[in-house]
Amino acid sequence: MNNGEAGGPRNDFFSEEERDILQEVMNIAFGNATADLAELIDIQVILSVPDVQVLDFNALPSYLSETINHGARNSVTGQKFWGDFNGSGLLFLPRGTERILSKFLNVSYRDPDPSMNAVEIETLKRGLLLEISNILIGACVGKISDLLNTVVSYTPPELLTLDNPDFDFLLKHFGTEQTAIVMKTLFQFDQQDINGLLLVMTNQDSVGWLKTALHAFISQYED
Amino acid sequence: MIEKILIVDDSPVARKMLKNSIPKNKGYEIFEAVDGRDGIKKYQILRPEIVFMDLTMPGIDGYTALEEIRKFDGKAMVIVMTADVQPKSISNVMALGAFTLLKKPAKAQVIEEALEKAEHALRESNE
Repeated sequence: MNNGEAGGPRNDFFSEEERDILQEVMNIAFGNATADLAELIDIQVILSVPDVQVLDFNALPSYLSETINHGARNSVTGQKFWGDFNGSGLLFLPRGTERILSKFLNVSYRDPDPSMNAVEIETLKRGLLLEISNILIGACVGKISDLLNTVVSYTPPELLTLDNPDFDFLLKHFGTEQTAIVMKTLFQFDQQDINGLLLVMTNQDSVGWLKTALHAFISQYED
Repeated sequence: MIEKILIVDDSPVARKMLKNSIPKNKGYEIFEAVDGRDGIKKYQILRPEIVFMDLTMPGIDGYTALEEIRKFDGKAMVIVMTADVQPKSISNVMALGAFTLLKKPAKAQVIEEALEKAEHALRESNE
């Protein structure tokens, strides 16, 4: 059993069944979130099977580098949430996604755009990313909380970076002494070359509650 | 008359949730497949009256499995069970010939109603 001494994935937090339940909860939650996004943007999101990993926070940057295209520059938006279920949602999108998606929101712009000054373009980019982030993270975490019979509060979404080649900067935003329970969903926008990643991270302080909530969730479907 | 039901889902938890939500008093024989490929294979062997199909699966996904099953048997009744309820996903699976689509997690009553509708449709198609 890997207990994470080297900072890699740990297998000692959840049983196999608990991990399966968490994956299914994440699957349902992200499916709902994409349906909410589809109300805003007329574009289909192609989903993948979610994955749950338990990692030391220090291992997060290398985990992300392996998960997302090597060397690709990404924008990262995040939102913290708290309640019984505490943690952060992070949305990773390739650089320039906001420009591609802007045409689906009828706020299309060019970069550079002679009709807009640099500040206006920057504000629009940030606004688009924050809006997409707010919908996907908010709806996903909200649905997880709903399924696990609790309620969380959120900070407003924030743009952590518009264009970053690595993920070391994330360590500044989180307590590195903690263990990260990472629920990952990769997705793609249909007919657009955009592959994104949504992470919902919680920490070891939520594990006790999470385990109880997962068992309560599945018990509704027990014989 | 529904006798055999095949559940196609990569998640063991989702299969268990669905299996436990199917009425016990009807005498259905329930089979499970762990992904799209397994689902197609088991459909061809078992010929169940009803298939519950997830969409997001590794390897062969639910869209392809639905398409393959309907190619093999144009009368196959496939109920899609998915968390992916985007309008385009729904229209895609209906265009592929799904009988209906249920949003995950579906309550036992919703499953029962879908099975009743399927039973009714099967009876009508046999008349």
